[in-house]
Amino acid sequence: MSPRAWLVAYLLAVVAATFVHEPALLTAALAVAVAAAGRGRWKLLRRTLIAILAFNLTVSLGYAAVALWRGDFNPGYLLLVNLRVLLLVFLGMWFAARVDPIAAISGVSPSLTFVATLTLGQLRAFERIANDFTLAFASRNPAPPRLIDRTHHAAAQGIALMDKTMAAATESALAMRSRGAFDD
Amino acid sequence: MHIPDGFLSPQTYLPAYAMAAGAWAWAARGLRERLDETTVPRLAMLTALAYGLGLVMVPVPGGTSGHMLGVALLAMIFGMRLAFLSYSLALLLQALLLGAGGITALPINALAMGLVGAAAAVATKTLLLRVNETAAISIAAWISVVLPGLVVALVLGIQPLIAHQPDGTPLFFPFGLEITLPAVLIPHLAIGVGEAVLTVLIWRYAKSRKWCA
Repeated sequence: MSPRAWLVAYLLAVVAATFVHEPALLTAALAVAVAAAGRGRWKLLRRTLIAILAFNLTVSLGYAAVALWRGDFNPGYLLLVNLRVLLLVFLGMWFAARVDPIAAISGVSPSLTFVATLTLGQLRAFERIANDFTLAFASRNPAPPRLIDRTHHAAAQGIALMDKTMAAATESALAMRSRGAFDD
Repeated sequence: MHIPDGFLSPQTYLPAYAMAAGAWAWAARGLRERLDETTVPRLAMLTALAYGLGLVMVPVPGGTSGHMLGVALLAMIFGMRLAFLSYSLALLLQALLLGAGGITALPINALAMGLVGAAAAVATKTLLLRVNETAAISIAAWISVVLPGLVVALVLGIQPLIAHQPDGTPLFFPFGLEITLPAVLIPHLAIGVGEAVLTVLIWRYAKSRKWCA
């Protein structure tokens, strides 16, 4: 299937899942999705659970507390909403693992795809620079650093992140200009 | 303040997609002319920054999350339309790459944080710039967090009224406005202060580097 076909299938599955209010059907849909996800299914399921844990726990505990206090607690609601969120986020993780999102949205708007591609490049640069700084900071501080040292480190890292990613993005943009990316 | 997937009813997110599609089309008009080799790197860098800021999320009791936005900075440097588009892009990438926010919540998140946040920032800055630049930037950044928070709280709070079973049990988000308004707004009043400080610092740095138009 092409990335665009995956995107359409993913969007249809998401919309369909929000019209289902029966926990048994949502469980079956989740089981089918997990089974179809292939060898990486358990890793995807684990990532999904980690992604939703904080939010769903907050909402579920909040609902339980408020509903018990009001006397209208319904465990069926907790099952329904948690299953639905689990299914939707699993579908999203599966889609992201299977398809390059840039390829899926390309064609919607060439300019937007261009900015999206550069933004993704910036994200990778952010990650790499942040990792370099963290390692360098750890190597310079055999003892636990003071708060003021951490603050200086964060400020230096922030400035370096902006300067370096700006330089990288400028290089990319100039390279694209030389290839006629801004010419219509 | 991302709303996660699965908490908004189709009666909410489908019309929201229609509204957002109109807004995206309006914002994208003439996009090609506004992008060149000087604006594109800045836009990509600040969009990536907004993406990164949005990932440091703390769940708040109202069923959403607290985090800084970076949309005020985008809006003050590039204007409302580009800020809305690039922030929507950051939200889309967060949803597709990390499952943060979610595809069903994308239009509400984009309209609230990207459009309302950017519009509030630009309007406030324009209004207060003659008084004092630092005050204008910081109040604009603060409002760009609090106002979207209000929109998100309102949308979440009406879910039990929109989608529920015959016995009144909610089908999507369970809390009404009496809970979502204080639960979402109060933390964002404080988050807005952090956003204001960060925005002023980055704004000054951006000015010193001549990144601002």
